[in-house]
Amino acid sequence: MSNQATLSLRKDWDGGVSPFGVSYGKMFMWFFLVSDALTFSSLLCAYGFMRHKFAGDWAVPNNVFTHFPFLEGKNLPLAYVGFMTFDLIMSSVTMVLAVEAGHRLNRKQVAMWLFLTIIGGLIFVGSQCWEWYHFITGEETHQVYRDYWMNGKHIIDPHFQGANLIVNAYTQLPTFGDFFFCITGFHGFHVFSGVVINIIMLIMVLNGVMDKRGHYEMIEKAGLYWHFVDLVWVFVFTFFYLL
Amino acid sequence: MNFFEEYPGYPNYEKAAIHDEAHGKVVRKKLWMVFWIMLTITIVELIIGSQFEFSEINKIYTFIFLTVIKAFFIVWVFMHLGDEKRAMKYAIIAPYTLFIFYLAFMCITEGVYSKVIRDALVTVVLHQ
Repeated sequence: MSNQATLSLRKDWDGGVSPFGVSYGKMFMWFFLVSDALTFSSLLCAYGFMRHKFAGDWAVPNNVFTHFPFLEGKNLPLAYVGFMTFDLIMSSVTMVLAVEAGHRLNRKQVAMWLFLTIIGGLIFVGSQCWEWYHFITGEETHQVYRDYWMNGKHIIDPHFQGANLIVNAYTQLPTFGDFFFCITGFHGFHVFSGVVINIIMLIMVLNGVMDKRGHYEMIEKAGLYWHFVDLVWVFVFTFFYLL
Repeated sequence: MNFFEEYPGYPNYEKAAIHDEAHGKVVRKKLWMVFWIMLTITIVELIIGSQFEFSEINKIYTFIFLTVIKAFFIVWVFMHLGDEKRAMKYAIIAPYTLFIFYLAFMCITEGVYSKVIRDALVTVVLHQ
């Protein structure tokens, strides 16, 4: 750290001025996001741990996620996940443009960008539902022999397809399916709650609540949450689908 | 009575980021730039992921490197952490980085360890 930087940091903490220089709500939004980020990091670290432990037996994502809507039966590895990532980055941009319009106190533009963000979020949640559906039901061309216990019964199924929490057709390890449901489900629920928050924000903006307050900082806080959801997806995308 | 009317000298942080149309144009240009960078990185990742046959370790490090670049852009530009005061940046980044390096270190170390144990157990069972 340069001398100048040390000086300015000392000035920050010397008293008389706020060291953080942000409002109460925004600071605690950041602290919440740090703790939530730790939750997701521990999930991904646990995933990395199990994957490392069972290296070689683990399913190859390129062979599992090969579907694309309206192009059934074609082998398109990772294409749909790529689309989902693009969709989330795009909605992140519209959210940051809403925040920027809020800094200019432009109510119409804030409402427009927020609306586009909500649409992007809904497309993402729908895509994840679609992907879960295909992961769970599987495909008839990929049937395997599985021998497992479920609800106290011993089941021998020579034509097992798809996946559930106990057994899946992609690999011998049930852990693969468990982690898929846990991590993408946890993230998907975050996206869903982000969409709900954005809808509440949109209603507040349209009712002129922010104009009465004289600032659009609530949009900024909702934006922080939404960008965090995008940030988590960037990591889930890398560690779960690409590696 | 409003808080800010009661304490006229108190800075209103909620209104600190408000700017005019001309500055907004500069900000928007930067945001779209970042969007194109992130889109390019994502496309590169997809091409590497689905087309090329890398050696496993090179692939892992390439992906983690590209992901960290994307994460940096999201946090620094989209979440405006780059515009915050220095103390705020450190308060967010430092504890998290510390914890995450520790967690990743422990998981990688223990993962190697439990793989060694598992392989050893398999060998013992097979030789009996």
